[in-house]
Amino acid sequence: MIKKIKFNSKFFTALFFVFCLIILAISLRGMAGNPDSLALNSPVWKDDGPLELSPERGRYALMYSVMEDKSMSFSLPIAKFATPDLGLAGDKFVSLFAPGISYLIIPGYEIGKMFNLSQVGAFFIITLFALFNAILVRAIAISLGAKKIAATIAAAIFLFATPAYAYAVSLYQHHVSVFLILLSLYLLSRWPNKFWSLALVWFLTAAAIPIDYPNLFLLFPIGIFSLGKIISLKKTEQKYILSVKYIKIATLLAMVLPIAFFLWFNWSSYGNPFQLSGTLPAVKAIDASGKPVNVPLPYDLEAVTKKDLPEKNAIGFFRTRNLLNGFYELIISEDRGITNFTPVILFGLAGLYLLVKKRSLLATTLVAVVGMNVLLYAMWGDPYGGWAFGARYLIPSYALLAIGLAIMLTEWRYQYLLLIVFLYFASQSVWINSLGAITTSKNPPKIEVLGLEKITGHEEKYTYDRNWQYLTTTGSKSFVYNTYLKDKISPIKFHNVISVSVSGLIITLTALLYLTKNKKNERLF
Amino acid sequence: MKDFSNNQEIKLSLNRNLINWATTFLNKYGTIVVTLILVAISIASYIVYYKNGLGLAYNDARSHLDIGRRVVEGLKPGIAQLGSVWLPLTHILMTLTIWNDFMWHSGLSGAILSMGAFIYTGLLIYLFLRRLNVGLFGRFVGVGIFVANINVLYLQSTAMTELLLLATMTAGTYYLLLWYQDNKIIHLISSAFWIMLSTLIRYDGWFLFFFAAMIIFFQTWKQKNYRTAEGMFVLFCTLGGFGIFLWLLWNQLIFKDALYFAFGPYSAYAQQNQLESAGVLATKGNFGFSLKTYWWALAYNIGFFTLLVGVLGAAVLWLDKKLKPSVRIATSALIAPFIFNVIALYLGHSVLYIQGLSGNSLFNVRYGIMMMPSIAIFIGYLIDQWLAIRTVLVGLLIFVTLFQFANGDAVTIDDARVGSSQKNVSEVSGWLQKNVPGQAGFILISAASHDAIIFSSGLPMKRFIHEGTGAYWESATTNPDRWARWIVLRTYSDDDQTYRLIKNTEGFKHYDLVQSFPFADIYQIKGEYLKDLNTEPILGKQK
Repeated sequence: MIKKIKFNSKFFTALFFVFCLIILAISLRGMAGNPDSLALNSPVWKDDGPLELSPERGRYALMYSVMEDKSMSFSLPIAKFATPDLGLAGDKFVSLFAPGISYLIIPGYEIGKMFNLSQVGAFFIITLFALFNAILVRAIAISLGAKKIAATIAAAIFLFATPAYAYAVSLYQHHVSVFLILLSLYLLSRWPNKFWSLALVWFLTAAAIPIDYPNLFLLFPIGIFSLGKIISLKKTEQKYILSVKYIKIATLLAMVLPIAFFLWFNWSSYGNPFQLSGTLPAVKAIDASGKPVNVPLPYDLEAVTKKDLPEKNAIGFFRTRNLLNGFYELIISEDRGITNFTPVILFGLAGLYLLVKKRSLLATTLVAVVGMNVLLYAMWGDPYGGWAFGARYLIPSYALLAIGLAIMLTEWRYQYLLLIVFLYFASQSVWINSLGAITTSKNPPKIEVLGLEKITGHEEKYTYDRNWQYLTTTGSKSFVYNTYLKDKISPIKFHNVISVSVSGLIITLTALLYLTKNKKNERLF
Repeated sequence: MKDFSNNQEIKLSLNRNLINWATTFLNKYGTIVVTLILVAISIASYIVYYKNGLGLAYNDARSHLDIGRRVVEGLKPGIAQLGSVWLPLTHILMTLTIWNDFMWHSGLSGAILSMGAFIYTGLLIYLFLRRLNVGLFGRFVGVGIFVANINVLYLQSTAMTELLLLATMTAGTYYLLLWYQDNKIIHLISSAFWIMLSTLIRYDGWFLFFFAAMIIFFQTWKQKNYRTAEGMFVLFCTLGGFGIFLWLLWNQLIFKDALYFAFGPYSAYAQQNQLESAGVLATKGNFGFSLKTYWWALAYNIGFFTLLVGVLGAAVLWLDKKLKPSVRIATSALIAPFIFNVIALYLGHSVLYIQGLSGNSLFNVRYGIMMMPSIAIFIGYLIDQWLAIRTVLVGLLIFVTLFQFANGDAVTIDDARVGSSQKNVSEVSGWLQKNVPGQAGFILISAASHDAIIFSSGLPMKRFIHEGTGAYWESATTNPDRWARWIVLRTYSDDDQTYRLIKNTEGFKHYDLVQSFPFADIYQIKGEYLKDLNTEPILGKQK
């Protein structure tokens, strides 16, 4: 029967990504309307709506301020909207977040505004980046030797079976950071010796910093790998040859533009080109007279329960003594850990091992980025990512582990027992992460729950149970669901439709992969 | 040599002979190179901690220095001052230099031992890895892991016992490996010698002694026969256990009880009993919690990522079929400190508080440093074996280490400064420094409770009457007003020997409380009783 189907690889690939886009689009969090600065401060848009957490509000606030108020510092209503992650530069309220995302979402905001969907449009930019990431995961996996079906499964796993899903339908920096990492890796694998390719990699590397400051570290291994394209050491029988391709040194000039933008922004906003926004004094709330205060407002639960972070300097946030707790939180904890939220992605470790054994330099770079990502955030005083769904800081690692997953599936595609176990965890992970995507990311870390319960007076859940509770009591934050489907199907049914569709696709693709056991079928895939 | 090719490249070529020469040179003189680097790092590190005043932050460091000093100076100097609280080797070695006031008060007298031990341990790691056929890169990484640990660098700059213990234990294990490999008796004797020294530094050495004796016995029995095994066992134990024998004998001769060190009033046992009755010895009888506590201590001292890589390295080493089983057995001695510490916590013979597990306090966290050389060796081995990933591993280890140094993230310094190991005695010692010089008379004080004050006062040891001063102590605690111009004690605390002994004496009423501080109070004799006060060491030499 398989033989009878005429597989058109490109057509099915396109179909797969259209499917992904549809699922992402119907999960996208949002509300209709073009809210102004006063409306944004209402709970409908904040706690109960799509701009539920301060990282989203902070970035949206800057975008709004730039577009509507033509200013990089915030008006009083926008400053109130951005709390508790609000900075103070002199007597001006400013964003505490790197500015890149705020500028990137401007096109989506403007287009959305034309259709009375300004917030949805802004969020949709992130969704597009998530889709590009899935495409890149697949492409890199294939370039590293994965079967196309295995690479497609990996793309689906990254997109729908990890917390990357929840952050593909809300306003966070993670997918853009991942995009810069993956595109750099893809360029280096696809066109390793092209001048333009290398220049673009340097451009992306520099552009990553205004997106999120820790990207400086995440892209460091890629920078080293790229330097290897300019300076290389060869060993012959008689001598070692250090060669410097001096023309390619010019590719470094591509970094000028993003760095110039970054310095210009810092200078315009804070009066100092080298001032990082994260190191500014923080304002937790604004009192009735419009004065900044360092005590959060009692009703702002996210701010009230937030733990004080270490001293504010660029590296002070990262302490090696946090590693033990950080590893625990990121890997095995109930409230954030990979083993609880996305166990399926751990199969990717086996794939990375297989890649490394082949001594591929690109694979080594992948492992280095994963290592850097895990270590960096395990060292951070807040590995929980504040109130969040899953370990959001590890989204770059999920993407790279997904590449490993494709390799693992390719190498062991005939091990049906392994595939059954894989599918079990894949379905479980899809169920969990689709739940997070269509509900809320507002999950407190476990350490804050006791304090929170004292305030609210009832039991507070901190795992994805909280999302299930939200789904069954409040509903969904999906724009499509709330606008078009709310009266037709229940939120639980909506969740079932998404998770069953995605799991069904993954199961089908895995079955097809297994069927390549028959050599006659293999050429079809 | 520069060569402009057609391919828009500048090529710099280096003759392989030069590289080969460098490799040969390092292979031949690696130990000298390593030693020179370690010496430079050791001195630089000491200067840093001396200048920032942290070198003497540990209360225990000051006590160690005082014990060494009392052997050579005081109202009753002599070898008996070594006491029974701590094993004696560190203090014996200190006596070579501690007679000098600068060496005593700078802490250098103790630190210099730690520094020497640091250098020797680094060298042993290099030699150990060479014996395991690890290449140059792996060997240097192994040494680098040990050296680039901020806690090791801090402890090597202080008068604590950890580094000396690490050196002797690592040397004992190294020579044990050599014996397993070559079967030469001299190596077994060397191993026994170093382990014997370690048994005179800390009780961790005692466990290593028993552990090594067991594996020597069983390995020889397995390879040869029972009689040979018995002979090797006796040979090893005769020298290796000599230190333990001497310590028991010392306790018997000085304190009339061979087990005085174990059950006496100043023993760890007595301290742990107090803690247990206060309900703060949670590890006792709880194996899981003991394991967790020590694991955390390891993670805080060594660094969690480094520890994980080290554990991976240990697995690779022990599963490596290329290594002879006997070699793998010999290297098992590297984990003796881990086993000892967990058992000691479980049995309640040791106390260790970790922030996060034991409330917010720190105490003896530095015990986690005991596995540092072992972890360095395991990592060196792993780096040598896992060629494909070694660049990434080394890169990540450097990454973490840079953050550790950039943030000054040293748990041992926190333990010393803010943990239970510290005592802010500067107020009391400052008062003594300001008011005592230029006035005749002795200070009555319990060294067991206030050694840090004695040290920090900067006064000569002979100005103090403490538990180790024999007849002076007995007389002063019976009639304080005849002997002590000043008394330093914790009022109303029976844990303070001085208070316990003088609180009901008539003479104590002849003092005014002149200052009260959080850690101790200072009493000064009333003016009218000065005329009856002895201000000279008239008792002279006594028993």
